[in-house]
Amino acid sequence: MKKRYWRCFVCNDIHYGVVPPELCPTCKALNAYVEITAEEARKILGGGPDAVFAAGDFQKAIERFTAGNEFMVNPDEDKVETLLRGIFENEQNHGLKYCPCRLRTKDWEEDLRIICPCNFLIHETYKGKPDGECWCGLFVRRK
Amino acid sequence: MAKLLMFHGRDCPHCKKMMPLVERFEQETGIRFEKYEVWHDEKNADLMRSYRDDIAPKCGGQLRVPTFFNADTKDVLCGDVEYDKLKDWVARQ
Repeated sequence: MKKRYWRCFVCNDIHYGVVPPELCPTCKALNAYVEITAEEARKILGGGPDAVFAAGDFQKAIERFTAGNEFMVNPDEDKVETLLRGIFENEQNHGLKYCPCRLRTKDWEEDLRIICPCNFLIHETYKGKPDGECWCGLFVRRK
Repeated sequence: MAKLLMFHGRDCPHCKKMMPLVERFEQETGIRFEKYEVWHDEKNADLMRSYRDDIAPKCGGQLRVPTFFNADTKDVLCGDVEYDKLKDWVARQ
């Protein structure tokens, strides 16, 4: 299923997905999304504020992301520091926050699967394991 | 002896954990791995990609590091493993 771009006609939220959200998560308008081109999406997003993430900001973002989930950021600070360095170097050198413990294939769709955080819940290193962790170890199952 | 390769990433904690074990193995046996860092050297990355069809099916469908690879038989060992497991894998090559 091909993902496309959608814009909320009320508040200009942009959604990238197979179908548009019924309820806009920002302004709560119903059935408010209209399909737009990738170019329009880029222009709208490009005019927005630059969200430049330092490693510390990204760490705070993933800590917020894990709050309330069954997993958490690894308490091993040295490991996290190493991984964040790798993730940011990958973003600088290769364009996106690719996992430092896997290699991008150069297939765009395929490589979207290794952007951190990836969907590690389905990985054999995590799924069904009491001590499960994502492949790189940035996220671990909460005890 | 078969040509043994190790693909690794500079900021991969699993690779950092494996490296001393690999060095110990090399010292004890005299068998050496050709080591290729794949995130900061595009030639090394392309080399690993060239073995994608051999490596990915045995590593969860992806190109993961660390990966140990026999370039002759295409046998694969992926992830950080215990010393004995590495030793056994090489013995089978």
